[in-house]
Amino acid sequence: MNDIVRETTKTAVDNLIERSILDIGIPPCPVILERFMVEARQDEPDFKRLASVIGTDVGLSAGLIKTANSSYFGMRQRVRSVNEALVILGLKTASRAVAGLVLSKAFPNVANLERFWDASARIALLSGWLAQHLNIPGLRAEDTYTFGLFRDCGIPVLLGRFPHYGNVLMTANGDVTRGFTEVEGVELPTNHAMVGCLLAQNWWLPEEICLAIRNHHDLAALESIDSKLPVLSRRLIAIAQLAEYIVQQQLGLSLTQEWTKLGAACLRILDMDETDLDALYIEATPIAASAE
Amino acid sequence: MNSIDPLTGLLDRFGCLQTAERLTATSSGKGQSFAVIWIDLDRFKKINESFGHPGGDEVIRNLAVRLRRAGGRAEISRMGGDEFVLLVPQCDRAQAEQFARELAGTVKELIHMGNMTLCPTASIGIAIHDREESSLDLLERADRAMCAAKSRGGNGIVCSGDEPIPGRLGITLAREELSIESTLHVALETGGLCLHYQPIILANGEIEAVEALMRCSVNGVNIPPGKFIPVAEKTGLVTRLGEWSLLQGALQARQLQEAGYHTKVAINVSRAQLISPKFTQALHAALICSNVKPELIELELTESLFMDVSDTVQINLRNAIAAGVVLAIDDFGTGYSCLATLKDIPAKKMKLDRAFVTVLPEDPRALAVVRAMTQLGHELGMTVVAEGCERQEEIDILLEAGVDAIQGFFHARPMPEEALLKWLQARNTK
Repeated sequence: MNDIVRETTKTAVDNLIERSILDIGIPPCPVILERFMVEARQDEPDFKRLASVIGTDVGLSAGLIKTANSSYFGMRQRVRSVNEALVILGLKTASRAVAGLVLSKAFPNVANLERFWDASARIALLSGWLAQHLNIPGLRAEDTYTFGLFRDCGIPVLLGRFPHYGNVLMTANGDVTRGFTEVEGVELPTNHAMVGCLLAQNWWLPEEICLAIRNHHDLAALESIDSKLPVLSRRLIAIAQLAEYIVQQQLGLSLTQEWTKLGAACLRILDMDETDLDALYIEATPIAASAE
Repeated sequence: MNSIDPLTGLLDRFGCLQTAERLTATSSGKGQSFAVIWIDLDRFKKINESFGHPGGDEVIRNLAVRLRRAGGRAEISRMGGDEFVLLVPQCDRAQAEQFARELAGTVKELIHMGNMTLCPTASIGIAIHDREESSLDLLERADRAMCAAKSRGGNGIVCSGDEPIPGRLGITLAREELSIESTLHVALETGGLCLHYQPIILANGEIEAVEALMRCSVNGVNIPPGKFIPVAEKTGLVTRLGEWSLLQGALQARQLQEAGYHTKVAINVSRAQLISPKFTQALHAALICSNVKPELIELELTESLFMDVSDTVQINLRNAIAAGVVLAIDDFGTGYSCLATLKDIPAKKMKLDRAFVTVLPEDPRALAVVRAMTQLGHELGMTVVAEGCERQEEIDILLEAGVDAIQGFFHARPMPEEALLKWLQARNTK
């Protein structure tokens, strides 16, 4: 065994990371944890691979970003992606903390989050690729990845608190006329976009990403000049929405109606039209598939 | 850091400040001059009045495109409204004046709006960086030169030093605000914002609650809340700060709850938050994310907010009570107090402003008012707290007057969360 899974003495940073990941309230994906542990148990683990595995999980990534942004490290700039967080915390330290949590069985068993875990990872990956491929000014691929990963982070929190939230999601996913958060508002005193925004603010993610999470189902905010939604936030929303659409097309499923409601606005923001999409599907297919 | 103006894609005011700071440093080091050119459109208000704000926005976007085209190597920012600033590296006065004339020509190109044609003009101020000067001083001089051009009837250029009139009123204040706004953005980026907690203590020594107070420091320098909160309110940052406090305070309450302390956390709520239709959603989001018992969260609002009769505020207040959180009237007695509506305020706590405390025990009339307010609070079913208590004799008089709980330096200063836990442990108040 190597010292990632063997080390038993915890440092203050180990404790801080563990606390943050558990406090986030978003359970890590068991499949990702399994993948992580297979690598971590190797005699000479590939740290680059460990980092990329951690970076596909919402709960682990959020915990590491929150830790790196805490006053403990007193950094001059806050981090805005899991890769930056790993630079500050150290890959070995972060890996050891994650392995410690897995081995102590600290994560609760949760069901019904598969779709969330799967969609977040795929949308993040494809969003990052789209930002580079479309070469949109002022848009960093790391930001689009971060936004894609955390865009729906309010969903698992609400699923954990409201037993009927799964049904609310089904109704909202199928509604072609009302806004997604409007449907949630009928059943709940808040919605996943607001929950996600407050979480992102708490992890000290940049304002543009927080506002994008808050408004990612809001057509009026996307379209109106008066909405005060920064241009960068609008572009983040549009890229991730496009990524979701491509993923859903590729899987042969139309699980949401969001492209019907927001697609035209997103294409306008990205300065694209429908005819550009066909070529994009072909190029994006292997990228979206690589999230398997 | 992204400091882009959403309307034009140019740098925004904060981006301008950062760039000016950088250019000031590099120019001073290399002994090079650089110029600030401040452009303000003439009669822009008329454009807004005639074409509405969308029309005004169209004109601003159009001008931004032109300035970008003509700007060459200059860094261009929109300072808000109809004001643009160009920072031109390696540029002396003669070059800056020539460049400003070209820009004035660019601005004057016709704009077609529906069936009307506009011929915009601008007032332009120029300032050349002096080696010893700060970036804020430099920007202030350019702004003052622009005002001089405006006061001459507009459509003209004035170079700083040539203007005959003194700076416009309030410019020093505006400059300080600009500086604090810039510091706040840096604090948001660098982790300079946090909550400190000050205990509120009952007459029997039990902890009634802790109040979460925001602290801001950059590079080790603390900015007093009295300075940064008003600027945050003016610039709209207060909503983000308020929502952050809401969740952070709620997480702290849960942490205390897990540690065995059933201590309420009192969180200040600003007017900007409460007039927003999204306030209820944000409050519930904070309660859900923190998984704290709502009764452990107290929202402190000033009297005037309770008196606000707008539908949104009243709905938000009703929803907050329905969510199970406790409401408190902050700074009671110093604002606009309407006794007719006080009876309808759904608060469970009244916090007497420190202004009444600091004059005790010398001022018997202040004591009379404290007694009356305390009795009034009790009659209305509220717990009465006195803020700003620093001396034993003040506390003795306040408790004797019937006040239920005391907050102030005498018992404890506001402290970071780790210190709060230690303080609670030391008192053994589980």
